[in-house]
Amino acid sequence: MNILASNLQGAAMSITPMIDQAPVLDIRNLCIEFRGKAETVVAIPDLSFCVKPGESYGLVGESGCGKSTTAMAIMGYLGSTGVIANGSIRFNGKELVGASARELRSIRGRQIAMVYQDPMSALNPVKTIGAQLAEVPLLHLGATKAEAIAMAEAMLADVRLPDPGDMLKRYPHQLSGGQQQRVVIAMALLAKPSLLLLDEPTTGLDVTVEAAVIDLIAELRQRYSTSLLFISHNLGLIAESCDRLGIMYSGEMVEEGMTGEVFRRPRHPYTRGLIDCIPDIASDKRSRALAAIPGHIPLPSERPVGCLFAPRCASFSAGQCDQPGLRLEEADEGHLVRCPRWQEIPDASQAQAPRHTERGEPETAIALSEVSRLYAIGYQKTVKANEAISFDAARAEIVALVGESGCGKSTLARIVTGLDKATSGEIRLAGDNIAELQARERPRKMLQQIQMIFQNPDSTLNPSHSAAFSIRRSIKKFGIRKGKAEIEKRVRELLAMVRLSPAVADRKPSQLSGGQKQRIAIARAFAADPTLIVADEPVSALDVSVQAAIVTLLLDIQREKHATMLFISHDLSLVRHVADKVVVMYLGKIMEQGSVEEVFGEGAHPYTEALLSAIRSPHPDEAPRERIRLSGETPSPINVPAGCRFATRCHRKVGSICDTVAPPLRRMSETHEIACHIEEDELAARPSVLARPGKA
Amino acid sequence: MAIHDAIAQVTTPAKRTVRPSWMRILHSRTAIVGLVLVLFWVLAALLAPILPLPSPTDSDVLAMTNPYPSAAHWLGTDILGRDVLARLIFGARTVLSVAPLSVAVAMVVGITIGMIAGYYGGWLDALISRFSDIILAFPVLVIYVILIANIGPSVFNIVIATTVASAPGIGRITRGLVLGLKEQEYIAAAKLRGESTIYIMLVELLPNCRSLLIVDACLRIGYTIITIGILGFLGLGLPPPNPDWGGMVKESVTVLNVWPHMSLIPSFALVTLVLGFNLLADGMREAWKP
Repeated sequence: MNILASNLQGAAMSITPMIDQAPVLDIRNLCIEFRGKAETVVAIPDLSFCVKPGESYGLVGESGCGKSTTAMAIMGYLGSTGVIANGSIRFNGKELVGASARELRSIRGRQIAMVYQDPMSALNPVKTIGAQLAEVPLLHLGATKAEAIAMAEAMLADVRLPDPGDMLKRYPHQLSGGQQQRVVIAMALLAKPSLLLLDEPTTGLDVTVEAAVIDLIAELRQRYSTSLLFISHNLGLIAESCDRLGIMYSGEMVEEGMTGEVFRRPRHPYTRGLIDCIPDIASDKRSRALAAIPGHIPLPSERPVGCLFAPRCASFSAGQCDQPGLRLEEADEGHLVRCPRWQEIPDASQAQAPRHTERGEPETAIALSEVSRLYAIGYQKTVKANEAISFDAARAEIVALVGESGCGKSTLARIVTGLDKATSGEIRLAGDNIAELQARERPRKMLQQIQMIFQNPDSTLNPSHSAAFSIRRSIKKFGIRKGKAEIEKRVRELLAMVRLSPAVADRKPSQLSGGQKQRIAIARAFAADPTLIVADEPVSALDVSVQAAIVTLLLDIQREKHATMLFISHDLSLVRHVADKVVVMYLGKIMEQGSVEEVFGEGAHPYTEALLSAIRSPHPDEAPRERIRLSGETPSPINVPAGCRFATRCHRKVGSICDTVAPPLRRMSETHEIACHIEEDELAARPSVLARPGKA
Repeated sequence: MAIHDAIAQVTTPAKRTVRPSWMRILHSRTAIVGLVLVLFWVLAALLAPILPLPSPTDSDVLAMTNPYPSAAHWLGTDILGRDVLARLIFGARTVLSVAPLSVAVAMVVGITIGMIAGYYGGWLDALISRFSDIILAFPVLVIYVILIANIGPSVFNIVIATTVASAPGIGRITRGLVLGLKEQEYIAAAKLRGESTIYIMLVELLPNCRSLLIVDACLRIGYTIITIGILGFLGLGLPPPNPDWGGMVKESVTVLNVWPHMSLIPSFALVTLVLGFNLLADGMREAWKP
């Protein structure tokens, strides 16, 4: 099987489920409670679903919806406070609820295996990979030591790890994240389980690595005919790898059905909202606005009566949606939905993009030229975080910096803001070179011009101070307003700007949701009246439904204030939606830059192509796209390849010149540049991967 | 915009019951027991002048022949005929003022050096950390004995000895906390506002070290009480006739076989007070667990 060219879009991954057989996993009326000292939290009130033999079942939902709790209940790992209060979990006809520890032990690992989100914590750091893998056949299959090692080695080859013999002797920290996750998958499959639980198996991985892991899971599933329970918040992944799926919301199943059917005709308003709020790689901000779902998921203690989604639902109808005892109704064969109004709700109309006003003559707001940042580590070793980065941003323009982890995009953000300084190069902001000025050396006027929005909502606000503390401080420090009353007034204005009620001002960060904290962070950044906003992955830690609201808000404010923005992200769909100009980085160097249409259009750098093709779309009707699979992993920034940085993984390598000579800049147009050895004409002749149908 | 109006309506946050942290301590049984023990001694020490007690320094010559507990002397008298209960309670005054004072001074010094080492890093950190390591390599008691034996026993000198012995440990805790906290995004945000380093240390960093440092201070008060007791026992305590628990044990240890109450009662007092502080610290740690 030629993996490089295989196409797995849509349900091509599925093997026909044997529908008539008894389910492998049958969960009925499951109720899970967490009983603390003070209160009992009902995490899951009543959940039923089943996984059939050979089937891949997807459990989708945002954080706190109970999907991981369900997986833990199946494995019997609810901890000291978790209790299965009601219902049954049957595995191959055998009841797991109330089973003795010994019975559970014989099933866990042997018949049900689990792959966790964080591979590093799933592997024992003081044991070699070989020792950990061999444990499985030794314990579960009664194999001898030699047999176990042989099986482990064969399995490592199966999960496509290079040089399995050598791999057995390594320790987990000597492997990359993608390799670790492959080892965890190998460990899970060694006992040939009949059910494999995957809890967000690729969430911590880069997109190109994620694509490879997902393909591997699909391939292994075919070979071992294992049933899968795939838990994820990523609709695109689920759409691609599952036969059937269930959408969970606040501990309840709101919709269930065949994957194609649910995505083609979502019945529940929540499902529709989820699909609409994902930025679509095929559209930009001029053609479609992101539809956000207002509000947040209710905590178990504040669940409303009746439909749990009702407080956030646009189609709420009193007397109908607030009645207790809503049931899952059959909308079509095998397609269940828990909504009393599913027949009446019209198809969601796509939100209209706001009118885009054309700008006048572009005026350069910030220009970077040949910016490099080297870190000396130890004797004669340097990490090249950034090398010869040159690009500029016009006033009121949004420039997106894109790339996988370790590409240097965050370092660049820190240099621009003054949290770090460049080793060489120039950054011109209103005539001044700020490249080597750190924040404490910059005059107040300069600090005020550049403000930053950070990535992690949990660390962006000081837990010891109130939410408005830093906003207030910023106004005072930069002298935006004078006098206590004026400052308070400005704080309220800023809170209103990020659509928060003034009451939020005095709350501590621990009393705010992630989305609210990020709104405060946006308000803080704009409190200084900056001309340049650096946003470092501002929404990547948020749930998708909240993400859309924050992005829309950020775009609105940016447009209103005419602020220039450097938007750093690894999410290409989002970038497509947000940016005017895109800069693609890999291992500290710019691979390609151009307007959003140019970068996402025809004629792209091979790395951009690979990034774009790794994106999973939740639209089953979309023509299948060609998938480009990158071999290997991103090299370490200490030993960067001598020629083109991307040469070691490139699928369009010209020849040895790529390994030895730095690629020339190919000027595709006035604004579009690609650093590659491939000739301009050849690059331009290649249509976009987004438009190119894959080989079926 | 319809979407935004809808968002504006949904501003009720995830409400969680957040009680003031000092009140949360009362939910821990351990802390309550510790608090009761400590408060008992604090009250006794505060009320000492108005309690109907005999003088702690006057000898009752009549009681010297029969020093056992009696109606006149509830806990008996010591070898010189002084009332043990009065000496115990007046001794609590000494120990409960000297120990917290010494720890407070040690905290100020320790937090300062820890903040500097953790925040600036580099050679400054290396210098402070190595110097701390040297002091921490000595047994605490040796430091006290060497210092007090050289500069003489007095409240001021006990404060100095405690600071020298404890500040490196406090500094190390603070440094560790600051190393983690200074990478937080709110610190970066403060730098981008142009806040001064002093401001960042005192307003942005220190409040987040609070809970661990308070627990540590509580434990250290307990240790210091023990150390002051030991110094008293070694004859390096506060000069007589100040009642001092360690000194009480030392004076009567020679007659332990005959009149055990004279040395056992002050020892027991020491144990209850130190235990009180330790339990209180444990309880606070439990209550403030993140």
